[in-house]
Amino acid sequence: MTQDAKPDLFTQIVKFSPRFLLAILILPVFGGLIGVLLPAFGWAPALNHYNLSFTGFSDLWQTAGIGKMITLSIATGLVSTLLAFVITLMMLAAFFNSPWLQRIQRLLSPILVIPHAAAAIAVGFLITPSGMVSRFISPWFTGWELAPNGIFPHDSYGISIILGLTLKELPFLLLMALTVLAQPELGKKLRQQHKVALNFGYCPMTAFFKVVLPSLYPLLRLPVLAVLAYASASVEMPLILGPNTPPTLAVAIMHWFSDVDLNLRIKASAGALLQLLVTGGLLAIWIGAEKTIKYLFSDLLTNGKREYGDVIWHKITAVVTTLLIGFILLALIGLVMWSVAGFWRFPAIVPEQFILSHFQSALMQMEEPLINSAVIGLMTTVLAIVLTLLCLEAEQLSGKNLSGFISLVIYLPLLVPSIAFLFGLVWFQQLVNNQSAFINVAFTHLLFVLPYVFLSLTSSYRQLDPRFAQVAASLGAPPIKVFFKVKLPQLFAPILIAAALGLAISFGQYLPTLLAGGGRISTITTEAVTLANGASRRTSAVYAIIQMALPLIGFIIAWLLPKYFFKKARI
Amino acid sequence: MSVNKDCNRTSRLRYRLDDFWLSIGIFTFVFYCSLISNYTFASPVYNQLLQGGVAQTELGLKPTANINKQNQDVYFYAWGGDAQINAYIQWAAKKVNSKFNINLHHVKLSDTSEAVSRVLAEKSAGNNHNGSVDLIWINGANFATMSEHSLLLKHWAHKLPNFNYTDPTNNPAVTFDFGIPTQGMEAPWGQASLTFYYDSLAIDGSVNNQLPRTLHQLLNWSAHHPGRFSYPKPPDFLGMSFLKYALVVLHENSDETIKAQLSQVANEQNSQQVLSPLWDFLNQLHPTLWRSGQHFMQSGAQMRRLVDDTELSIAFTFSAPEVPAAVKRFDLPSSIRSYAMDDGSLSNTHFVAIPYNASQPQAAQIVANFLLSPEAQAHKQKTSVWGDKTVLISTTLSPEQQALFKTKTAPPSALPFNSIKRTLSEPHPSWVEVIMTGWQTRYGVNP
Repeated sequence: MTQDAKPDLFTQIVKFSPRFLLAILILPVFGGLIGVLLPAFGWAPALNHYNLSFTGFSDLWQTAGIGKMITLSIATGLVSTLLAFVITLMMLAAFFNSPWLQRIQRLLSPILVIPHAAAAIAVGFLITPSGMVSRFISPWFTGWELAPNGIFPHDSYGISIILGLTLKELPFLLLMALTVLAQPELGKKLRQQHKVALNFGYCPMTAFFKVVLPSLYPLLRLPVLAVLAYASASVEMPLILGPNTPPTLAVAIMHWFSDVDLNLRIKASAGALLQLLVTGGLLAIWIGAEKTIKYLFSDLLTNGKREYGDVIWHKITAVVTTLLIGFILLALIGLVMWSVAGFWRFPAIVPEQFILSHFQSALMQMEEPLINSAVIGLMTTVLAIVLTLLCLEAEQLSGKNLSGFISLVIYLPLLVPSIAFLFGLVWFQQLVNNQSAFINVAFTHLLFVLPYVFLSLTSSYRQLDPRFAQVAASLGAPPIKVFFKVKLPQLFAPILIAAALGLAISFGQYLPTLLAGGGRISTITTEAVTLANGASRRTSAVYAIIQMALPLIGFIIAWLLPKYFFKKARI
Repeated sequence: MSVNKDCNRTSRLRYRLDDFWLSIGIFTFVFYCSLISNYTFASPVYNQLLQGGVAQTELGLKPTANINKQNQDVYFYAWGGDAQINAYIQWAAKKVNSKFNINLHHVKLSDTSEAVSRVLAEKSAGNNHNGSVDLIWINGANFATMSEHSLLLKHWAHKLPNFNYTDPTNNPAVTFDFGIPTQGMEAPWGQASLTFYYDSLAIDGSVNNQLPRTLHQLLNWSAHHPGRFSYPKPPDFLGMSFLKYALVVLHENSDETIKAQLSQVANEQNSQQVLSPLWDFLNQLHPTLWRSGQHFMQSGAQMRRLVDDTELSIAFTFSAPEVPAAVKRFDLPSSIRSYAMDDGSLSNTHFVAIPYNASQPQAAQIVANFLLSPEAQAHKQKTSVWGDKTVLISTTLSPEQQALFKTKTAPPSALPFNSIKRTLSEPHPSWVEVIMTGWQTRYGVNP
């Protein structure tokens, strides 16, 4: 009982951890923003600009096509998020309480772990004029002997980007929703309420929207906002699938930052601030729309109507789901075939010969990036999980939830477009530590891994039945013992899922790796993006497959370990 | 205990793994394990440590380029979009490691300007001695920018022992970069010419489908076959090269005073006059291009991929041997043939340079000297390796060294020997900026 007299070391560490977390997140993001803000207003010692001015903004405003860039960013971000969100809800509604939900999730999870670049490559393979779709209908139907003139990918409306982003974000939102539903207490409550609604004669989908969604959505809000923020400012997808006359705002900013003409930096910094405004505006629109919908439709929840064309909607959902899965499977099959293809002239459906030389030559050059990816991923993920657990434990020890401010800060790196603060951050890292690129990269990855790990662990941790801990404490167990012996075992599965997610996020980082590492640190993802816009489809396919395989290992371990450990625990 | 059992049940339900995924997982895991163990035990650095330092007397370098016997890391920032070139740099890394105990790291760039930005960022952060870039692959506008901002180490390249093999007194191509004197800031590495390749199944030589052999024939052919030709979007290096080729050819019959402007600095007065034929030409060409000239590919490699997809029927490259190499890797169909335009091929030299704040300037010079050696240059010129034309002049070499450059018979897709009938020299680098700005305002944004 000595721990009552003086807080033990564990408690002290736990109590201190939220502050540490705050520092680790706020300093880089705000430091990075300042590093962009100053040049935007004309203060750039590197270019001998010391006077405050608005030339950056006026240059930006006079850029040809700036209006189109903004429109494209807003449209692709909003439409893709909306699509992913709506389809996620429809799937949840149609297959709630059905084994199909798990099956769909399992089918979609390969997409979840594919980095954006690889997903974009796979989608591109499918929709190009010489892609799998047009090969299936040529030449017997279309008469095409050469690939036709098409508009995909790189169409100026951004449809390809929307397609890619939607496919990529949908499994993420679905996983987030399933993680919420997997919490023992809340999930059970929602499932029971759903059953009660069914017994009252509500059709399954209507029951979901009226009974489950109102409790589910608040827990999904931050993931959705993160997706929206990401979609409006992402670089990889628009770079590989988007138009370039003009590109999206984020891609244009990236080009300006890396342009030979160094004076473009000032305009790029101004552009980064504009991107911040665009993303902020989109988040505000989403929250506004959410409030409006809640206000307008709250009556519907209690009007007692049991059915809104459920049968038709169920069928539509089934068709959309089938199409989606078919699309993904076809993209994956195409990816695998390209990775082993010899000559494969349009319109043949299968390659002329199958060879392994693409894998061989790619693997020869892959050692270093592979090891970098793994080491950085493991380092950041372990750190992120430890920090997250400590903070959540601090929350429970002090008995009150982390303040709204802290919660917001945790999601800061997800809500602030990375293109807006990364360049400034790199400038700061140059000042502080210009030798160890590896540490810089790992640290920058942590910024992006931490929120996702936090996102996927928080709800499970908060929903832990406190009575277990209370009983243990009343039997005399110190906090450290309660934490390790009572709480962690219950959280084992969610922790592993969070770890796998953290690894997947770290593996997929492109811009942070490129900038913080100054290109010195090559990972599978930076290699894949460099090659995606160059090189052959075959090499790209090999890299995309390796990119997929890497996080997959994480998820497989997340599945296997609980079995192993609990078998031991039972003996 | 009850907690564990409870959790066990749910987790078993939730995370039961299909045998399919399991087998894939085990396979991949074993595979990676073998890779990682390979890395740990067979890494050249590791072997090097075991064997100790290697004597450097065989180098025969002058005292200026002496290095310690310790391992030195040289970070070589070079465009990394081509697997063949990357493999060549890896070969060079192995060589300098065994010869001079230098660890050469290839930092793969998607655009060389990234490295320029980096050096500038370091200068602004006050990092004048421990820069991250030791060696950089560069020419043209990037070189002009770096030398203008004093970002490069001066007066070293002409002191390299192997520089003498380039016969600098009679060969201005190695001391002038796009018309700008290099002043010993960069060592020549290779030579490139703009040549074309086409799909012989798509351009079959029938009426209205003859192979275009001049710029004007190209315009004509493209009008008959809309959507089958395009060029990478400026400021891409290859796209800019096509525009410069067009500009130089369009001025073929112009007044000598106008022609002379091309080798001088571009300014507002002369640019309008000089560039107007180019815009007229592009106004005619663009509606016939791939995607109706509304969208352009990002790079030459992407253009090559579009030829493989049969979307394009004709394309061009600055590295002719890349074409047969791509066919060999199955990245282009076997029906591809290479040729050079009758009205001339734009030609230039590419270099390696050392930033003023490089951490290892001495070791970087040793690498630059190795890259200039007959051994490295001959290996580079092999079609199966990279196929980049050497900057060495054969008369300066010994018979044994000359023998290194002998080649075997070329595959059908390779550029036939001596097809480049006339070379066109690059305009002054300042034209790049003017062309790019003009292009951007005219075609950068869809109406």
